[in-house]
Amino acid sequence: MTVYGVSALYSLFLWRKGFRKHDHVNYALLLAGIALQTTAMLMRGLTLKQCPVHNLYEATTFVVWTIVAVYLVIGLWPRLRYLGAFAAPVIFCIGVFALMPGLDPPGAGRPPLAANALVSLHAALTLLSYGAFGLSSVAAVMYLTQEHDLRFHKLRAVFALMPPIDRLEKITSRLLWAGLALLTAGLGLIPFLLKGRTDYHPGSDPKVVWSALVWCLYLVLLVLHGRFAQTGRRFAWGAVAGFAFVVLTFWGVNLLSPSHKF
Amino acid sequence: MSLVVIGLSHHRSPVQTRERFAFPEAAIPGALEALCSAGRACEAVILSTCNRVEIYAASNLPEAGAAAELRKFLFDYHKCPEPAGGEIYARAGRQGLEHLFKVACGLDSMVLGETEILGQLKKAYQTALRHNHTGAVLNRAFQRAFNVAKHVRTQTHIQRGSVSVGSVAVELAEKLFSSLGEHPVMIIGAGDTGEKTARALFSRGARGIIVSNRSHERALELARELDGCAVRFEDWAEEFPRIDILISSTAAPHCILDRARLQPLMKARKNRPLLLIDIAVPRDIDPSVSFLENVYLYNIDDLQAIADDYLRQRREEIARCEAIIAEKAAAMMPPDAPANARLGNLDNASA
Repeated sequence: MTVYGVSALYSLFLWRKGFRKHDHVNYALLLAGIALQTTAMLMRGLTLKQCPVHNLYEATTFVVWTIVAVYLVIGLWPRLRYLGAFAAPVIFCIGVFALMPGLDPPGAGRPPLAANALVSLHAALTLLSYGAFGLSSVAAVMYLTQEHDLRFHKLRAVFALMPPIDRLEKITSRLLWAGLALLTAGLGLIPFLLKGRTDYHPGSDPKVVWSALVWCLYLVLLVLHGRFAQTGRRFAWGAVAGFAFVVLTFWGVNLLSPSHKF
Repeated sequence: MSLVVIGLSHHRSPVQTRERFAFPEAAIPGALEALCSAGRACEAVILSTCNRVEIYAASNLPEAGAAAELRKFLFDYHKCPEPAGGEIYARAGRQGLEHLFKVACGLDSMVLGETEILGQLKKAYQTALRHNHTGAVLNRAFQRAFNVAKHVRTQTHIQRGSVSVGSVAVELAEKLFSSLGEHPVMIIGAGDTGEKTARALFSRGARGIIVSNRSHERALELARELDGCAVRFEDWAEEFPRIDILISSTAAPHCILDRARLQPLMKARKNRPLLLIDIAVPRDIDPSVSFLENVYLYNIDDLQAIADDYLRQRREEIARCEAIIAEKAAAMMPPDAPANARLGNLDNASA
């Protein structure tokens, strides 16, 4: 988390400098951060003998891991490397939230439903989807910044080594589609998880209802973008608002859910 | 043997003088032959562009004498008297070498940091090399100059950014669209700046450029050159839904595009981003269109402001470039070199 913190601080420096130099340092910092985080997650997973995605701390850090991993792949293209400067503060804030007391209680790691690989897969897929939504919102913030600078003739728009806004819109859209596909796959596992269980009705679980709502929200956003020309700023704000909704309600909904209360 | 350069450039000489002393490209081999065969120089390279005429030479004579011989050759060859007012400059030894490096780096150019001069310098050197008028001194000096130019380009920001209105427009387009080839361009009014901007876009991959002009013949001519198509001036709005970039430079006394007219056109374009470059004075596009979503409007002042800022940034780099040049020249021609290699400025040497 310290490395992510340094990356977030360095990002502020890049913002002040107007993104004029290639962002190798931030990329290296996030690479170092994910290497350390992956090691920690592996050690935890080996200790618990399961994928570490079964309490709020683990879930949150897994989302952070996903955002960084996807960024590192996208950041291989030099002009998209500045995505890191926008992602690092988000990653650091979510990471700090994960360290809050009470999110990782002793004896955690025990899934509330029957412990099996399917539960881990379900959790991993849905958390990966939130990671993709998170990075799409980061790309959308980058779009909004660049779009604002272009619209108001800020010199930074021309001098900054940032990708063109049409590419940023494409990245946002593709990440949202990827997130939606992962969420669909994760939610699609629910019937298999409940096979043979009569004491649980997914319709009455706030977490399941919330997940369905999130799924619908992103589907509507993508359909409006693809079919009804709701492009540009509106689409970017939709991506940002969607992830803000996920982040702000994720904890509360988990507390309300009998099957997801960690 | 020492290096000497004499010449005249846009800094001190008006175009009337430069054109009198210019060497046509085809005449350069003959001029080099005349210069060397008369014993005025052992090696020579003639650089003749629209902004400068320079003779780089290596000679066995002392610098002052060599410079005087080169001046005499220049006046004799062109059958012109020496211009008054010290327009002809001469440099020798390390100053001559530093001058060559500066020219190669674009530091002595009219557009600071431009790269065209490096190509012209390479061509001049190749001509002399092909006709066996270069030797150990000039080969080494020119090869080093090309290396220094590359080094300066990569280590400083002297060539960063666009300093002309046309290239700034291209840069803006590339901030909106990742591939110009996929985004049709329309140019309304085929004036000089509009044409230059369209050509800059074409050189960066824009295809299918639509040209509309009051004189349809002129539109057809420009469209043919840009591999595009022409539409009649009164029909440009019909083509509008296809385009993503509009360059407007008509001589119309009032706006030809305002918010009320653009709004339905944007709907027809499915609200795709639209870059409007208005380089006309008076303006062709009502500034209020920039309040529409996905519309990015830039006028001539906006473009010039960006170009000026780039130029300011380039000027800030001059000191760094000169330090690199001085270091490289010193490495090639150390201060303890023979006295005649350190003479330097020979502007006052008599012809």
